[in-house]
Amino acid sequence: MKKWTVGSMVRIIVIIAVIVFLYVMFFAGSRNAIRILLSIALYCTLGQMWNLLSGYAGMTSLGQQIFIGLAGYSVAVCTATYGLPLWLAMIAGAIVCVIAAFLLSYVFSRMSGMYFAIATWVTAEALKILFKSWGFVKMGAGMTIKVSPYPSTAQIYLIAVTVCIVSMFVVYFILNSRVGLSLVAMRDDAGAAASVGVNLFRTKLFCFMLSAGITGVVGGLYYLNQGSIFPDGGFGNSWTIAAVFIVIIGGVGSMTGPVVGAICYVVITEVTVKIENYLNTSLLGVNLIILGAIAIIVILFLPNGIIGTIERKFDFEFIPSKRHAPDIPRNAVTETQKK
Amino acid sequence: MGQAIINGILLGGLYALVGVGMNVIFGIVKLTNLAHGDFIILASYLSLAVCTSLGIPPLLSLVIVIPIMFFIGFFLQSLLVNRVISRGPEPPLLVMFGLSIVIQNLLLSFFSSDAQHLPTKLDTRSITITDQIAIPTLYLIEFAVGILVIFLLYLFLRRTYVGQSIRATSDDTMAAKLMGINIKTTYGIAMGVAMATAAVAGILIGMGNNFYPTTSSIYLIISFGVVVIGGMGSIRGTLFAGIIFGLALLLGAYFFGTSVQMLCGYLVILVMLIVRPQGLFSK
Repeated sequence: MKKWTVGSMVRIIVIIAVIVFLYVMFFAGSRNAIRILLSIALYCTLGQMWNLLSGYAGMTSLGQQIFIGLAGYSVAVCTATYGLPLWLAMIAGAIVCVIAAFLLSYVFSRMSGMYFAIATWVTAEALKILFKSWGFVKMGAGMTIKVSPYPSTAQIYLIAVTVCIVSMFVVYFILNSRVGLSLVAMRDDAGAAASVGVNLFRTKLFCFMLSAGITGVVGGLYYLNQGSIFPDGGFGNSWTIAAVFIVIIGGVGSMTGPVVGAICYVVITEVTVKIENYLNTSLLGVNLIILGAIAIIVILFLPNGIIGTIERKFDFEFIPSKRHAPDIPRNAVTETQKK
Repeated sequence: MGQAIINGILLGGLYALVGVGMNVIFGIVKLTNLAHGDFIILASYLSLAVCTSLGIPPLLSLVIVIPIMFFIGFFLQSLLVNRVISRGPEPPLLVMFGLSIVIQNLLLSFFSSDAQHLPTKLDTRSITITDQIAIPTLYLIEFAVGILVIFLLYLFLRRTYVGQSIRATSDDTMAAKLMGINIKTTYGIAMGVAMATAAVAGILIGMGNNFYPTTSSIYLIISFGVVVIGGMGSIRGTLFAGIIFGLALLLGAYFFGTSVQMLCGYLVILVMLIVRPQGLFSK
C-alpha cells in the first residue's frame, strides 16, 4: 500500500477542488467562461489521447482528425438523416470511430515511426476528399445536426467536462497497469518487449481503439456545439496541429502536460480573437504562427515541455504515472545504423 | 485516354521534382520533412514577389529564388533541426511540423488566401500532334526541367566532393565523422540543395497551377507518394515514382473525374505503404 504523504494529500485536495470548481462553473459561470472552459475540456481530452498514442505508445499519429470527422459526421447523419436521439447518436459516433480504428489498425500495425505518421495523414486527407464527393453526406455543403430540444452550451459543457475527467482517470489507470508497463517497454525497445512476452499488436490496438473512441466523443461534442460540420473542418489538419501543440507545449509523456497545453492553446486563440476585434481587422493565422513558434522554441530548449521541465526540476510529478519518457538522448547514429 | 497517359507522364517529371527534395532529406538527414510542401509554395510566392517587382518572367526569377531558398534551408537546418537531430526521430519531425505551420500562416497573413498565378504566357500554348492529342508546352517544359534537375542532382551527389561527403554521411555517419566530415554542415548543405529543388518545383507549379498558402498539403502528400513509391534515398527511383504517381492521378481523373483524382493518388500511397513500404526501387 502507498503511504499517505503530505504531497499526496495536497495532490488529492487540489484535484478534488479543480473537479468541484469545474462542476460549479456549470451553475455559476458566465456564458463566455463556460464557452472557454468547454474548449479547454475538449482540447485537453484531445491532447490526452494524442499523448497516450505518441508519448506512451510510440505511435505518432498525424491523423487524429480521422476520428473527429467520422464522429462528427456520425452524429449529424444519425440525427438529421435517421432522426435518432442525441445520446444514441453520440454513442454511435464513438462506436464508428472504434470500428474504424480496428479496421485501420490492420493496415497501420505493420508500419512504425514516420510511415505510421504519413499513413494516418494520408488517410485523413483521403477521407476528406471522399466526404467532399459523397452524396449521402451532402458533399462539400456540410451537414447540420438536428435534435430537439437542442442542448445548450452549458449542458454540452457538463458532458465535456465529465468526458475530460473520465478520460484522464482512464489514462491514469492504464499507465499504472500492466498495459502501461507493456506500452513503455514497447516504446523504448519493441524487440526486447516482444521477447519478454508483450503482445505488441494487441497493446497497440488497444491504445489505438481507445484513443479513437474518446477522440470521437470529442469530435461529436465539438460539432454538437458548432451545430454543423463540413469536410474541410472535420477532416482538417488543424485538429492534429492542436493536439501536437498542446502536448508539445505541455510536455510529452506527462499527464499534466496536456492540461497546461490546452489552457495555453485556448488562451492564445482567444487573445488573438480579442486583438482582432479590437483592431477591427482580420489577422489571418496569427494565432497559429505564435503557437508554431512557441512549439519550436519549446522543442529546442525545453525538451520535456513546460510541465515536464518543472516536474523534473523539482522532482515532483503532479499526476504520477510512474513511468517517464527516457532521459538518455537516443543516439541518432545508432538509430540509422540499425537498418 | 492517350492524352491522359501523355499528360500523366509529363506531369510525372514535375512530381518527381516535387518529391526529390524530400527524398534527399529522407535519405541523408533521416528526417521526415513535413514542411516540404510549404517550402515549395514559399518558393512560388518568392518568385511571384520577384516577378512582379522586377517585371521578369518566372523562369528567370530562378536565378534569384534558388540562392535565397538554399540559404533559408541551410540556416533552418543549422539553427533549428541540427540542435535536436541527436534526440531521436521525433523532435526533428515535430520541429518541421511547427515550421510548416509557421510558414503556411506567415504566407496567409502576408499574401492572404487568394489564389495566385505566376505571370506567364506558356500555360495556354500547346503542340498539336493529332486531332485528339496535343502536348501542352508547359507540361513539356516541366518534364524537361524536372529531369534536368534530377540529373544534375544525381551528378552532384556522384561526382563532386561535397556530394560524395553527403553520400558518405548518409551511408555511415560515424565513419564519415571519423574521416573528418563535418556532419552538421553536410546536413545543412543537403537541406539547402533540397530547398533548391523545391524552389524549381515551386516556380514550375506556380506557372501551371493556381496556388494559395494551403495548397502546400497537396504537394507534401505528392512528395510522400513519390518517396514511398520510389524508395527512400533512391534518386533514380524518384523519377519513375513521379511518373507512376502522375499516371495514377491523370488516369484517376480520366476514369472517375477530377474531383476524386487525388483520392486515387492517396490510395496508391496507402497500398504501397501496406504492400511494399521500402519502395519499388530501393536496394
